[in-house]
Amino acid sequence: MSLHSTIPNHEQPAEGTASWHERSPKALLQLMFREDRFFLVLSVFIGVFSGLAVVCFRFAIDWSRIYLLGSGVTLTPTRLILAPTLAGLVIAALVMKVFPLARGSGVNQTKAALYIYNGYIPLRTGIGKFITAALAIGSGHSLGPEDPSLQIGASLASALGRRMNLSRDRMRLIAPVGAAAGLAAAFNAPISAVLFVIEEVIGRWTAGILGSVVLSAVSSVVVMRWFLGSEPLFRIPAVEMARPSELLAYSVLGVVGGLASVLFSAGITALRPRCKALPRWTQYFQPALAGLLIGLIAVLGAPQVMGAGYEYIDEAMHGRFTWQFLAILAGLKIVATLLSFVSGTPGGMFAPTLFIGAMLGAAVGGAQHALLPHLNQSPGTYALVGMGVLFAGFLRAPMTSVFMVLEVSGNYSIILPVLVANTFAYLISRSLQPIPIFDVLTRQDGLELPSMEEQREEDILRVEDAMRPVAGPVLGPEDTVDHALREAETAGAEGVLVRLKPSGWSSVTKQELREMADAEEGGIALSSLLGDRRIPYVHPDHPLETALRYVDRWPLVPVVSRANFGKLEGVVSQRDVLERYREFGEG
Amino acid sequence: MAGAQDEKTAATKAPALPTYWGSEPVLAALLSLLAVVFFLAVTGLSRLYHAQQESLGQRWFSRGVDDLNAQRYDRALAEFRAALRYSRDDYSYQLNLAQALIGIKRPAEAHAYLINLWERQPENGLVNLALARIAAQQGETEQALRYYHNAIYSTWPNDQETSRREARVELIEFLLRLNAKTQAQAELIALAANTGEDAAQQARIGDLFMRALDFEHALAAYRVSLRANQRNAAALAGAGAAAFEIGDYPMAYHYLQEAVSANPKDSGSADRLQTTELVLQMDPFQRQISAAQRNRLVVRAFATAGERLKSCGVGGAAASSQGNLSDGWTKMKPRISERELQRDPDLAEAAMDVVFNIERQSTAICGAATGPDLALLLIAKQHEGN
Repeated sequence: MSLHSTIPNHEQPAEGTASWHERSPKALLQLMFREDRFFLVLSVFIGVFSGLAVVCFRFAIDWSRIYLLGSGVTLTPTRLILAPTLAGLVIAALVMKVFPLARGSGVNQTKAALYIYNGYIPLRTGIGKFITAALAIGSGHSLGPEDPSLQIGASLASALGRRMNLSRDRMRLIAPVGAAAGLAAAFNAPISAVLFVIEEVIGRWTAGILGSVVLSAVSSVVVMRWFLGSEPLFRIPAVEMARPSELLAYSVLGVVGGLASVLFSAGITALRPRCKALPRWTQYFQPALAGLLIGLIAVLGAPQVMGAGYEYIDEAMHGRFTWQFLAILAGLKIVATLLSFVSGTPGGMFAPTLFIGAMLGAAVGGAQHALLPHLNQSPGTYALVGMGVLFAGFLRAPMTSVFMVLEVSGNYSIILPVLVANTFAYLISRSLQPIPIFDVLTRQDGLELPSMEEQREEDILRVEDAMRPVAGPVLGPEDTVDHALREAETAGAEGVLVRLKPSGWSSVTKQELREMADAEEGGIALSSLLGDRRIPYVHPDHPLETALRYVDRWPLVPVVSRANFGKLEGVVSQRDVLERYREFGEG
Repeated sequence: MAGAQDEKTAATKAPALPTYWGSEPVLAALLSLLAVVFFLAVTGLSRLYHAQQESLGQRWFSRGVDDLNAQRYDRALAEFRAALRYSRDDYSYQLNLAQALIGIKRPAEAHAYLINLWERQPENGLVNLALARIAAQQGETEQALRYYHNAIYSTWPNDQETSRREARVELIEFLLRLNAKTQAQAELIALAANTGEDAAQQARIGDLFMRALDFEHALAAYRVSLRANQRNAAALAGAGAAAFEIGDYPMAYHYLQEAVSANPKDSGSADRLQTTELVLQMDPFQRQISAAQRNRLVVRAFATAGERLKSCGVGGAAASSQGNLSDGWTKMKPRISERELQRDPDLAEAAMDVVFNIERQSTAICGAATGPDLALLLIAKQHEGN
């Protein structure tokens, strides 16, 4: 039996918007039904349009790389320096003058659209993100295409939603639906995209949200694969775990990855506000300066840090680099990404996170192989696990991190190492850097968006924390009014609870009982007088706020067992609830 | 975020669309139409993009192949990596990259690529052969044998028979390096059966049989080769050597003479011919010689052994052994004359036993025999084998 059915009709909560109030309940229901259905159809279209946009975004990135950096892998020093520097100047001018909201990664903007702007993301922001991020990534700035794709998808969805004149509730959800589509197409990984959006943007699961998000993600991936093929981001070498003792080695990787995540987060946390605080005119040159420094890193021997770096992740998985060089690359990529990101260059942090994780993982694997040659794992396995480790530690999306590795590798046998390593990284990162990076960024931008991690960790007060044992009499449906009055007077209670048949509860005050007795109804069974006066009941595990909805109208709300609705576990009153909240508030 | 707020305000002021637009099917149709238009536009872009990617991939691949063929592995590697940027999943790009990696002596990295390729096409001969080479280099014998056998029975892009034969030859070389001669002989027999009468190939098989110490099959292979080309100096030399090892000195003499005549610079065959001549001249057990001639040869062999004994005078344990032999030789010497041998036919056998003993012991103590001593040793071997 659901709680909803225990609420009398006149207690149904009203819907939020003014326009809905003006409609009749029937029309309202029809509209809701139609909009729900149409929202699912719209989700598919959002997926298709986002997929198309992300495909074009990929083309744009590749073209800018070919024309700015060259088509080969051995690049000339002149290009390595000039391309990111000059592109930085152009990007800064575009961001400052034309697309002011295109800065940063895009995840927080999408969350802000959901929680602050009623789903509104200007299409101009999406266009700006497309142009500036393609230039930035193509010219070698150390950023990735996933977060911008997420925002491009969200802004497209928002634009579509506005044209469709959707209700406010739907409009709020439409940006995450587009975000899932954009991310899924960029990653070629629909499950991870859906999980990420649910885990980090929306923060809750309902059938309606999940249906829309899944539909949009799947349709965008279908479109993307139509144009770009279905090959995964990396060619995954053979992966297997030969012995359980290898889990120890992966634990070490989890610890190292957790520490690296903290270092990376701390760098952004410290440097970003400082860069933003510099005089406004410097913001025209910050991306160019970042580009120049990244170019210098490339000229000095590490061109791998430029751009998203997927091809180098692939090579690291195939054992191209020595473990010492892999460790250096991980460090340099952290520096390069910090430079690009804190300078306000538009672009994402997913790809750099994966890069750092893969390099770190392969480095740890290589070092362990050098020290303990009997641990005969391929560098690819460590690189793959390392990607998940950084994802869990830095982006603090533990579920997504696990599924992302599974989805990218297509290999279930890697699940144990991933779980072990990700858990270590996540716990270390959480203990050393309590605020997740996305929350740090929103707070630095002066916004207060709900933290999904805090929500997950939040202590919830439940009814069982406030309920107390039944003090007054509990009567059966056959008991008469006179009997009830006697019981109430004997117990000194203001009212009694009455168990109804076949199920349900009612209550009656002593005053009401007296009035009934005076009206010569003393011999009548309570059930015949109270049959239609059912009161809501709650279960011990319900959130306390559920009880709060009823305690102002009913002096005592029964708390009944889920196993046996006739068994009373206790009662809860308004005073009990408020008292418990007060205690909780005082810590 | 202030900008967003302004734009949000602007959005809330935007007029609602006319009500007829709210009709679900109309909206769905409009969206479908829009999707088709965008789809077509992106298809056009996509064609441009893929054409460019393919062309760039091909360009870098061609350069890579040129450099790989010229054994400029470093450059080839960079070029194949560039090619793979444009067609990440291309089988031949990856395979060539792996070959460049093998060339540059980075087998572990090559192995990772090859394993991927092998999983995609386990029947690919090139991939199996490359994996076999890496396993062989790394001393993983079982893996190497498995991949070599896979390669022999795999499919090959061009000239399947030749490729399979070459893979088997490589396997035989590997087995010979491992000193697994019996296995090598088995593979050689299969190889010979599948090679036909190609002179060069049969000569090569003969060489491999020789290395596997299967002289009978080696001789057969050389003879097949010589049927196609009687003046093939290498085959003549091989046949001579094989016949020599078998102990068929008349045949060896025939082939070696031909070999030296075809290639006078072939010192190995010349030396072997000289030894063969000595064997034929000094062998007292030949059937077609007279008793007198045989006695002369015994007397000469006895004298040769005496010379060897004198020249091999050493101390210690060797001296003791030599002393015994010397005593035996000295004791017998007065009896070894043509007359005595004619009188006592059993004496020849006893004399030759002493000769063979002296030559064998001397070789063990003083090193390899040459000239007549070697000939005597070979005669001993043949005689005792018979």
